[in-house]
Amino acid sequence: MSIELHKISKTFGKFPAVKQADLVVQTGELVALLGPSGSGKTTILRIIAGLEFPEAGAVSFEGVDVTGISAYKRRAGFVFQSYALFNHLTIFENIAFGLRVLPRAKRPPQNEISNKVESLLDAVQLSGLGKRLPVQLSGGQRQRVAFARALAIEPRVLLLDEPFGALDAKVRKELRRWLRAFHEKTHLTTLFVTHDQDEAFEVADRVVIIDRGTVQQAGTPDEVRNQPANAFVRDFLDLS
Amino acid sequence: MGRKAEGAGIAMAGPISMVTRHQAGRRATAESPPVKVVLIGVVLLFFGLFLAMPLVVVFHEAFKRGAAVFVSSFTDRYTMDAIRLTLIVAAIAVPLNTIFGLAAAWAITRFHFRGKTMLTSLIDLPLWVSPVIGGLIYVLLFGRQGWFGPWLQANDIRIIFAVPGIVLATTFVTFPYVARGLIPLMQAQGSAEEEAAATLGANGWQIFLRVTIPKIKWGLLYGIILCNARAMGEFGAVSVVSGHIRGKTNTMPLHIEILYNEYQFSAAFAVSSLLAILALVTLVLKSIAEWHATRQLEAGARAGEPQS
Repeated sequence: MSIELHKISKTFGKFPAVKQADLVVQTGELVALLGPSGSGKTTILRIIAGLEFPEAGAVSFEGVDVTGISAYKRRAGFVFQSYALFNHLTIFENIAFGLRVLPRAKRPPQNEISNKVESLLDAVQLSGLGKRLPVQLSGGQRQRVAFARALAIEPRVLLLDEPFGALDAKVRKELRRWLRAFHEKTHLTTLFVTHDQDEAFEVADRVVIIDRGTVQQAGTPDEVRNQPANAFVRDFLDLS
Repeated sequence: MGRKAEGAGIAMAGPISMVTRHQAGRRATAESPPVKVVLIGVVLLFFGLFLAMPLVVVFHEAFKRGAAVFVSSFTDRYTMDAIRLTLIVAAIAVPLNTIFGLAAAWAITRFHFRGKTMLTSLIDLPLWVSPVIGGLIYVLLFGRQGWFGPWLQANDIRIIFAVPGIVLATTFVTFPYVARGLIPLMQAQGSAEEEAAATLGANGWQIFLRVTIPKIKWGLLYGIILCNARAMGEFGAVSVVSGHIRGKTNTMPLHIEILYNEYQFSAAFAVSSLLAILALVTLVLKSIAEWHATRQLEAGARAGEPQS
C-alpha cells in the first residue's frame, strides 16, 4: 500500500515543524527519511500514523484520503524510538494487544491469537520469552518486541521512528540487516526515520532528505550521493 | 482527630518524592556524630510528644472505664447515626473527587491549553484556605440569605444544615488529593504507551482501561486513600454547614465534639479511637500504595532507558 503526502504543513506554537512537504512511498518500498535532529522528520512520520494532524495538506494511503482519520483506525504499524512497550503486560500480551482490542466481530479466538503471537515471536527470534516482562529484556530484544507488536495487526504500512537509535553499534548493525531481510520477505511498505546516513544508505531502497520541515531531495542512495540537489544535501552528506 | 488530615496535605508531594529521597540518602553521612545525635533526638522528642502521645491518650481514655463501656458507646443511636452519615458522605465525596481527579490529571498532563497553570494552582486552593471558609462558601451560596437561598426555599430544597451541604463541603475540602497524586506520576510517565495503543487500534476508552489505569493504579489508590481519610475526618468545613442536628447532620468528628462538651469523655474517646484506627489503617495502606507507585515509576523509567 503506497503512502502519499501532499503539501503537508504543521506548526507547534510558532515553530513551523513541517512546511509544504511532499512525499511518496511506493507500494513495497523501504524508504528512509533522513535529516538532522529538529528537521521535522519524526513529525512527518507521526502525521502519517495519525498521531499528529497537519494544519494543511493531505495524507493518503493507496490514493484514499486518510487525513482526518484517527490513529486507531488507520492500521499503520508504528515502532517508537523508546519502544513504548506496555510495562505491565508480558511480552506475549504486548504482541497480542492489537488483536485483543479488535471489535468482537473481528477478534480472532484465543488459540488463533496464541498461534499468531508465537509465530511472530519466532519471526523476531524471541521464541520462549513470551512470559517475560519488558523490563526483563535487553534493549535490542525490546525493540524486536515492538516490531512484532506492530506487525501483529497486519498493518497496511510500517512506520519506524529511529528504530535503532537507542542501541549500541553492534546490535544496530544486526537489526539493520534483520530489517532488510525482513523487508525482502514481506515487501511491506515501510518508512523509517533516521539521522544516520550510513543506516539510511545501507537499508533503504530510496532516501528522502529533509531539512527545516521541507524535502530537499528524494532518490536512490546512488542518485543522492552522485547528484546532490543543493548545498544543504552536499553539506549534510559531507560530500565535497 | 478532626485535624489530623491537615498533615496529609504536606505529605502530598506524593509518590514522586520517594524516588529522590533514597537516592539522596547515600551521602547523608557528612554530618558529625554529635549533630546527628541531636537531630535524631529532636525528631524523636517531637514525634513522641506530638504524634505518639496523643494516639496513646486517645486509646487510654477510650478504655479507661473498661471494654464494656467502650463497646456500649457504640450502641448509642446517635453515635451509630454519626458513623453512618460519615460513611455515606465519604461514599459520595470520594468517588466524585476520584472522577474529577482523573479528569483533571488527564487534561493537565495530556493537553496544552490556555489557563493550564492557573487550573493547576487552583486545584490546590482547598489546601491553602481554612476549611471554615470552604464551609462558608456554601452557606453564602445556598443558605437562607445566600444567592440561591430564596429559590431553594421556594422549591423546598434543603442544602445547608442538611446532608447535601455536608457532602458539598467535604467534596470541596478533599478536592485536590486524587489529582495531586496523579499529576506528577502521569507527567513522569508521558504518553508514549497511550500513543502506541492508539496505533495498534485501541480506541480512547480501551486505551484508558487497558493502558492508562494499569500504569497509574497505585498512584490513584494513594490519592483515594488520602482523600477518604480527609473526607471522614473533616471537621471545620462540615461544622459550618451541618447545623449539628443529632441523628441527622452529625458526622463522627462533630459528634465527638458534642460528646466531649457534654462531659461524656469515654464515649468521646471511644469514637475518637475509631477515627484514630482509620488513620492508622490509612497510613499502612498509603505506605503500601506509595511503595508500589514508586516501583511502578522506576520500572517505567528503566524500561525507557537506552541499553542493549
